[in-house]
Parts: sequence; structure tokens; C-alpha cells
Amino acid sequence: MSKGLAIVGIAEVPTKRDPQRTRWDILLDVCMGAVRDAGIDKNEINAVVSPNPMAQPEMQNDMALGKVPEVLGLKGCRDICITNAGGASSTNCLRLAQQLIDSGQANFVLIPHTTVQSDIPPADLINFFATAPLDKQWEYPFGVTFNGSMGLITNRYMYETGATKEQIAAVTVALRAWAAMDPMSIFYGKPIHLDDVLNSREVSSPLHAKECNLLADGGGALVVTSHEIAKKMGSGRHAYKLGHGTRFMSATPFVRDDLFHRESYRASSQDALKQAGMTIGNIDLRQIYGAYPYTQCSALEGYGSVRENEGAIAWAEGRCGPGGDLPCTTMGDATGRGHTGSGVSMAFYIDTVRQIRGEAGDRQIESCSNVILTTSGGSVMNTCTTVFGSEPR
Amino acid sequence: MSEYKKPLPVIQSYSKAFWEGTKAGKLLVQQCQDCNAYMSYPRQFCTECWSDNMGWKESSGQANVFSFSVTYEGVEPMFEDDLPIVLAWVDLPEGVRMNTSLIGCDPKDIEIGMEVEVVFKTVTNEITIPHFTPVKKV
Repeated sequence: MSKGLAIVGIAEVPTKRDPQRTRWDILLDVCMGAVRDAGIDKNEINAVVSPNPMAQPEMQNDMALGKVPEVLGLKGCRDICITNAGGASSTNCLRLAQQLIDSGQANFVLIPHTTVQSDIPPADLINFFATAPLDKQWEYPFGVTFNGSMGLITNRYMYETGATKEQIAAVTVALRAWAAMDPMSIFYGKPIHLDDVLNSREVSSPLHAKECNLLADGGGALVVTSHEIAKKMGSGRHAYKLGHGTRFMSATPFVRDDLFHRESYRASSQDALKQAGMTIGNIDLRQIYGAYPYTQCSALEGYGSVRENEGAIAWAEGRCGPGGDLPCTTMGDATGRGHTGSGVSMAFYIDTVRQIRGEAGDRQIESCSNVILTTSGGSVMNTCTTVFGSEPR
Repeated sequence: MSEYKKPLPVIQSYSKAFWEGTKAGKLLVQQCQDCNAYMSYPRQFCTECWSDNMGWKESSGQANVFSFSVTYEGVEPMFEDDLPIVLAWVDLPEGVRMNTSLIGCDPKDIEIGMEVEVVFKTVTNEITIPHFTPVKKV
């Protein structure tokens, strides 16, 4: 039996807001792109596992009920499934794909994500994102929004750690600096300065407009296989999954003990690093999907890359952005890329492969062999941490 | 009051007593009658011991602000008249945290740790919502 999981094919479309580009346009583009990038035949795909396209019921039905392999003519497809864990959905796709591979059901699994939010009326989007993760009895009647929830956590994070608004704003400046060099970002060629963040409107204090997410359209796809098959496909192009750990906290932020997810980042990263036979010192790049600036700080603290309460200082000192000694989140997080819904973390896996291949262009991290990547879903209900390497263990 | 346009709390059989309490001007905290654990928000079963023998204790309604966030935009249209909304998480003496919003205050004067107390806002014949307001008027 052929075990382990390696990402051997990637494809992505630029993130933008363009209702003319349909969900199926994106889907077909990334599926065919990832299969061609892997260098396999389409009929070698044995399963299609997709993040649920939230707030897009027709596409959700198409994907859940088997249209993808049918339209693409994937004659070797044995199984399909969609997963929904909010922003951590792509992680669940990888875990399910690995189960199919480990159990001998599949050699190659295709994991496609597509989302178009620009054709959804703004009021509907606000309603969807206001209600999907919120408690209808204890949060929604008070006017809680996603930004409001994250504002509450950010304010407490700043209070407990002493992080200043300038230091928190520096996170977004650095993320946008990465994004400005990334042709896949909606903010490609558009870096910003500290004043741009601090002078932007306050949406939910202490969060400014530039620290909140622009909902956008996009998509990407992965082709994954076993370590053994990946090795036979050649070297230098694959990201090998070497370890994984997840911790769940709570659905509802105000009942959460580990409010900044620091302990959850710590425990999940320690699990993943232990399985990989590494320590955080072996890691060349940290990819953190948190969608809000404080997560980029507390994750560093949880990983043990910086001391507790000092995450924001590292960002403010320029250590995590381009040219820094502690590079993080080279795809710019959702704030720098444009938020593409429940499949948002697909872009983090794709960028990890690019970095390991040495194909990240101006954003390339020098000798990037080992990457730690964390995703979260809902109102940060969990942290799902994976270690990838350029070589199988 | 029949014109209330904002979403009303979706009440369950096991949380009905809480909302009957607010209607009567009381802030009730759920407590397990078997293991004495306090719970916020109210549940059908105790999250500590899975007992369904749940009761209620009247809280003083005095609390401290654990965190707050002032929302200026990005709400659904029915909330727009309320902007800015001072969302807050407040800690009650029973050791539990509630989500609420602060009223009767200037957002600029709110601080973490500040003492607040419950105020009840009757919005329909059936529903009274518990908000909080600073103890020392600012």
C-alpha cells in the first residue's frame, strides 16, 4: 500500500472581482491546469474532493452531486466528496484525500476550489457572513459581525500583549508587501504604508478597513498522490506532507478560553513538527491563514518562533515581511490576497508548493525546504497545522 | 414596538427561562443543579457532567468589560440606525462571560476592565434584551 501525501500538481487563477468570470470558468481552468502541471493523464485521477463553495447554492449542488468529474471526463474517478469547515475546508480535503490514498482507493486525487462572490449582492454577503458562524440567540441579535467578533479578540490581544495599533497595522503592511509582488493577488502591484492602514476608516475597532477582508473571486486546484508515487515522478517539484496536528477550541468566540489560539497553535504545531522529526528551527517559512492581523502575531508566539506577547513586535520590526529573517505568509493572507470564501486556504497550499519548488518569483524565500502551514475555520474554531518538506522523510 | 426590525433571539425550550427573566427585569445565569457549574450561554445539558437538571440563579448584573469593539460599518441594513454599536464581552461575578452591547455611553470612554451593569431593553411584547451600561456615568 502506498502511503503519505504529496502535492504534485498546482494551478490557480488570479484573485479578482469579476462577475463575467463564472464559477465553472475558474473550476475548469484550475482542474485542467493542476492535472497538466502534475504531468499525468486526466483519467489517472481517482477522486475529486472539494471545499464547499459557501453562499453559492447552485455551485454547491454541482460539486456535491458529481458534476466535476462528469464535465471533465475523469474516467478513472471512483469517488467524490465536498467538505465544509469554513476556511479550513481545504485542509479537510487534504485529509480525506490522504485517507483515500492510504487505504489504496486512490493514486491521484484532484482538489479544486472555485468561488465567485462579486455577483452576490453586498447585503446578502453581509447577511451570509453575519449569520453563518454566529449564534442566532446570543450574538446575532446584538449586531455582531465577523469583523466585530475579530475586533473584540484583537482589542483584548492588544490589551494583554501591549501591542500598539502601529504594530498591528505593520502586519497588514507586510502582508500587502508580499501581495504586491504576487500576480495572483487582487492587490498585485499595490503596496501600502502604515499611514494608509491607520488612516483608513475604522470598521470594528481596533480594526481598520484595510485590516478587514475584501471578499473576492478566485480558485485553485491541487493534485495529490502518495509519497512513493511522487518520488517516482521526479524530484524538486513536490511538497511532501510530513506531519499534521489539529486542535479545536470553540465555535463561539466569547466562550473560548484560548482566545488568541496561542495554545492551539502551540499544540498543533508541536504535533506536526514531532511527526516530521523537526523543531520550529528547521522551518524556513510560516504560512498562516488567520484572515485577521492578530492571528499572524499569536501564531508566531504559539509556534515558538518568538516569545509570548512579542508577535506584533516581530512584524513591526520587519522580520516577517520581504527580506525579513522570519518570513511569514508569503501569499499575503486573505487580507492581502482577497478572501475567496471557504476554499480560501487553497492558496496557502499552492503557495507552499511554489516556494518549495523555487517558483515564487520575487517572493521566493531562499532555500525554502520546510514549511509550516496553519489554517482555521469558522470564527477560528480550530487550528490545523501541517508541516511540508521538499523531501519525503 | 411592533416595528422592531432587527433579528430577535431564536429561543429554545431550555433557554426560555432566561428570556422570561429579562422580561421580568432579572438577569439569570444557568447553573447545573448536580455539579453546580455555571454556564453561559445556556445549554440543554450541563457541559461539565451532562446532567439535564439545569436551574437558574439571579445574577447581580454587575460585570466587568473583558473586551469591546466599536462597529462603525458593515452591518445589515436593519442595524444601521444603531451605529456605532459597542459590542462587548462582559464577565459576571458567577465566572461566566456574556456577549452583549453597551448602551448609554460614549464609545470613546469605554475601557477594558470597566465596571458595567445590566440594563434591559424591551423590544417586543415577548422579548427584552439585556444590554450593559457603565456604572459610573461617563
